[in-house]
Amino acid sequence: MTTRPHALSTSPWLAGMREAIPLLGGYIPVAISFGLIAIQAGFTAWEATLISVLVYAGASQFLFIGMVATGSPLWLVVAMTLLINVRHLVYAPNLAPWLTASRHWPWLMHGLTDQIFALAHSRLPQLPEHQRLGWYTGAALLAWASWIAGTVLGAVAGDWLMTQWPLLGEVMPFALPALFLVLVVPRFTSRRWTLALSLTIAMAMACTLAGLTNLGIPLSALCGALCFYLVKFDTRPTGGSHE
Amino acid sequence: MSNALWLAVLASALGTYLIRVLPLLWMRRRLRRLDGNDNVDAMPQWLGILGPLMIAALFGVSLVPRDPSATTWLATAIGIAITLLVWYRKRSLGWPVAAGVAAYGVIIVLVGM
Repeated sequence: MTTRPHALSTSPWLAGMREAIPLLGGYIPVAISFGLIAIQAGFTAWEATLISVLVYAGASQFLFIGMVATGSPLWLVVAMTLLINVRHLVYAPNLAPWLTASRHWPWLMHGLTDQIFALAHSRLPQLPEHQRLGWYTGAALLAWASWIAGTVLGAVAGDWLMTQWPLLGEVMPFALPALFLVLVVPRFTSRRWTLALSLTIAMAMACTLAGLTNLGIPLSALCGALCFYLVKFDTRPTGGSHE
Repeated sequence: MSNALWLAVLASALGTYLIRVLPLLWMRRRLRRLDGNDNVDAMPQWLGILGPLMIAALFGVSLVPRDPSATTWLATAIGIAITLLVWYRKRSLGWPVAAGVAAYGVIIVLVGM
């Protein structure tokens, strides 16, 4: 994919927010479910909301309240929560080459979720330096706000929402695979990348079907990387910025 | 919520934040130390390869329907095909996602009727 900067015609904040809108289709229904489940597990609406504000990591939040509800030792709850989030370790270094010298970046890493990483990894290289901070802030804040708002909604009116619009909760989460597809397709730049990416996708699907969703993400990416290193084609690549 | 539970929430929050921020600080220091003109080349190769592969893994994980059935798999396949088609024509972010979600929803409704 191209890395030539292309200036935004609108405010970078607004552009970031606009480009993060597809994320909401995935965030809000899941956050509503989290709010609802947290209430059912004995947390108050305030507590559920604060967990979403502070932890802000989907799968690990579900695990947290689930383990607390079943009476697991708290040290184990914290350890498992962090273990699920270990995959985030590789996100920030991948963005670092495109981050400016601003001191705000470390604080903004609180918003570096899977989806924001995927979006930023594709978009930051395409933006001129002076617009990157604004773009990222807009995108990350909208996603964070939607996650918090969804949690509040789920905690306060989750039951009612789920019975009124069950179809919405079923259809909107498809925005996530659709978004990831749009972000990953431009990476199919050579036979070598195509093989590594295809293997990663197939492995991730297999892991999810086997019930190993969170382990599946780093595991399949590592298998894809191994494939990338081991399998080399003689033909010249058609392009790409990582080869 | 008890004090111990609050501590667990805060420890999870702080730990998650550190997992996200510490690698950034490490990488920034590395970039400063190398002081190269091309920041991308300063990134370890394995990290540069893992980035796109993590996105591919996220795609694979999210592709599996929450309630796998013939209907949801069919809707997923058609939703993905439409997303791809619209992306190919538009090369943008929003329209392909909107079209994919709409196609997915139409299949769910039609088959469910």
